[in-house]
Parts: sequence; structure tokens; C-alpha cells
Amino acid sequence: MQPRAQGYWVILLTFFIAYLLAIVPFPEWAMSYRPEWVPLVLIYWVMALPYRIGIGSAWVVGLILDILEGSILGLNALALVALAYITLSLHRRLRMFSTFQQSGLIIALVGLNLMICHWLQLATSQTVSSSLLFLSAAITSAFMWPFLFSILRQLRRSFRVK
Amino acid sequence: MFADNRFGYLDKVRFGLGFITAPVYWVADTPARISFWIDDVFVSRADLIGENESLREELLLSQRQLQLLESLASENNRLRALQDSSASIKGEVLPAEIINISPDPFSKRILINKGARDGVFVGQALLDANGLMGQVEEVLPFTSWVLLITDSHHVTPVQVNRNGERALARGSRTTTSELELEFVTQTQDIIAGDLLVSSGMGQVYPKDYPVAIVMSVFVDPGQPYVRIRANPVAQIDSTRNVMLVFDDPEEEISSQPVLNLNAQGDGNVSTENAPVVLDVQPEVTDPAEVEPQTYDATDQDRVSPPVEPPQSDTDPGITQR
Repeated sequence: MQPRAQGYWVILLTFFIAYLLAIVPFPEWAMSYRPEWVPLVLIYWVMALPYRIGIGSAWVVGLILDILEGSILGLNALALVALAYITLSLHRRLRMFSTFQQSGLIIALVGLNLMICHWLQLATSQTVSSSLLFLSAAITSAFMWPFLFSILRQLRRSFRVK
Repeated sequence: MFADNRFGYLDKVRFGLGFITAPVYWVADTPARISFWIDDVFVSRADLIGENESLREELLLSQRQLQLLESLASENNRLRALQDSSASIKGEVLPAEIINISPDPFSKRILINKGARDGVFVGQALLDANGLMGQVEEVLPFTSWVLLITDSHHVTPVQVNRNGERALARGSRTTTSELELEFVTQTQDIIAGDLLVSSGMGQVYPKDYPVAIVMSVFVDPGQPYVRIRANPVAQIDSTRNVMLVFDDPEEEISSQPVLNLNAQGDGNVSTENAPVVLDVQPEVTDPAEVEPQTYDATDQDRVSPPVEPPQSDTDPGITQR
């Protein structure tokens, strides 16, 4: 039995802030190290409320991110759907992990997300990069995860998001 | 999903989603706007007076240059009229602001705060105060994405200001903001320090806007082509204020002899031109693509002698929209 939906606006707000952080311009050298905020927030909500936020929401979230980044439509949507699927199947285990173990898994998850994006971009000749520097964002994401996790959990508990 | 996008079926969806994403850009741009506002508000009177004076001097100087330019422009137009060509030095501009840049460091694109609401169209040229910056690639309701001339997918048709040598300037394949001239043979006369201006070929960019300055010319005797690197004159990485160029219809028509003649062949001169001319393909940046059209024009002249040579050239008034 599902609990009644409550506090949807908190979820929307967190995604809105994640979008903001995802498109705020950085200096050139820091661009590759920008944490992947939207996938991180998505992982959290899928983990916390798997009956509410799932593959469908991941697709919509990805579409909006595509428009924001001006990338080919469906690029981030596909990557985030894959991410949401894996997180859904792992969410029970993820909850048991300590924050640092979660961080380790975040490297793999966000790295996969970045890989899918990069492959699709190469396949559609959207990018010409050949270095693996883009994967460094997975490591910075993993560093940000403990902070993000505690903030989002605080938000979820204080606003009783279900 | 990707096939759809490649063939442009989803353009409407993108446009619709653009309404949703507009507030995100607006909020993301807030810090910049607040800092500008603070700059405006907290400024001393002496500073203002000094700035005012220097601006006034600058205005005086540029007005003097403008006077010279106007006489030059009118002279130029008279000379062109003598040559039966109607290309004139005109064009309106729409000021815009850069509000975001592409998060991918390898794709050099920027977002400007003017969109379909302001009449921006795909393929429109973007300038800053110093020179050419890029062309509009995608139009959203309130914003548009601009592909910069330094993107590796972008090729600008240029010519050397000193002697009119033509070349193609492609964006650098690295993350630096540079241009590389492609397919320049060793006999072509291009040296470091040359100013490259847009040649108007490819029919995307207006003619004679400064594009880049040649930095280095590397001649390898074993290679068929010379490696030339150029630095864009526009402040691509630092400016915020840019301009969108609206070409005047006269100029566009004169650069498209084929369409012009077709329109006249239907016996309809003035009304046919406007919609046809707007179908300019933004991707056509290769001078080789321009050449066949001029051949077409001469062919058509030959097979149909009764058709007069382009009327619009002798009488520009007819083609005004």
C-alpha cells in the first residue's frame, strides 16, 4: 500500500536547484569537475521514495535537462532512465550502506551516466573530445554526496515528504 | 528518439519545453544581474562624471568617423550602382545579452536572452562590439542558442582584408578559442597579423565584418596546405553585450542571383522575393556551394533572353519589403 503523496513541491524545488547548479557558468578549467547535481538528486529521491520517483520521472527530468543544456533531445533522458533503473534495483542495498560506501557506488553510477552521455554525444558527433577527463565529474559528485545526502534527508524528514 | 531529433520532428516539442526552462535561466542569471545592479547603484559621483566625459569624447570621435563612413558608404553605393550591383552597407541590429554558456567545454555555444518573441531566426549572425561571434543555431521562446565561430563544427567563410584572399576558418578542435584556416595553399598570400573579414559567401554572415587576426603561419614543405592559426577579434570569452544582425532584404537578394531570377520568371517581382529569401540554409558555409548558383544565373540568362537582367539591381525600390 502506498502512502498518500505529500510534499511534492519539495521534490520539485530540489530538482529546480539542481538544474540551477547544473547550468551556472564555471570558469573554463572547472567545467569538467562540476558535480552532476541532477543525477545525484535523482538517485537520492529514487532511493528514498522508489514508489514515487521512478523511471518515468527520470525521463521527464532528463528531457528538461536536455533543453537546458541545449544538447540533443533524449540524451540525458536516456542516461537518467538507465541510472534510475539501476538505482531502483539497488535501492534496498543502498539504504543499508554507510554514506561512504554509498559514495563509492555513486562513482560507478554517475560514471555510467557520464559514459552513456559521452558515447551518445560521440555517436551523434556532438563532441570531439577524446580524453577521459569528463569522468572526473563522477569523483567530485562522490565527494559531494555525503553533504547532499544529509541535506536532502533533513529536508525530507522536516517536510514529511512521502 | 534520435532519428526524430535529427530530422527535426521534435522542434515543436523543444520549443514548448523552452517555456518551462525559461525561469531556470532567469534565476541562474540573477547573480550577474544583481552585480550589475550593484555596480550601477554604488558608484561615486566623480566616477560618473569622469565616465561621462570619456564617453562624450569617445562619442565625438566616433561621430567624426561615422561622418567619414557615411560619405564613404554613399560613395560606395554610387560606385556599386554604376556597376549594376545593389549590395549596400546597411542592416539593423538588435542588442542582446549572453546569459549562459554551454556546460560542455568542447562545444562552444552560448545562450542569449532574445528568442522567437523578439524575431530571432535560425542562421542569424551575432556580433559584439569588435567583430563576428557566431550564428543562431536554435531558437527558443525567450532565449536562443548561438554556435560560436570557434566551435569545431563551425566554418566561417573569410577573406583577408589586405588583398581579398579567400579562406575557410574552422573553429579549433581543442578547448581554446582559436580559428584554423583550412585548405590554404602555400602560394596564397596570408601572413601573421592579417585581418580576416567575413566574405559574405555562404549567405549566412553579412559581408566585411572583422572575424579574426592571423596569429601564426606554419609552412611545412612536405604538406600540401599551410597551417594557419587565427585569434578571433570578438571578445568571445569575456563580453556580455552582443548584437543580432538583421540583414536588409536588398542585400540578401543581391547575394542570391538564382532566387531572384526565378522570382522574376514568374512575373512576380516584389511579393515573391520575401518568403523565398528567408529560406537561406544556415549550414551552407562552403564557397563551393555558392559557385553553381552563379552558373545557374548565367545559364538562365542565356536560355531566356527576353527576361531582363535583374530589375532589382537597377531599381532597388522594387524589392523593398
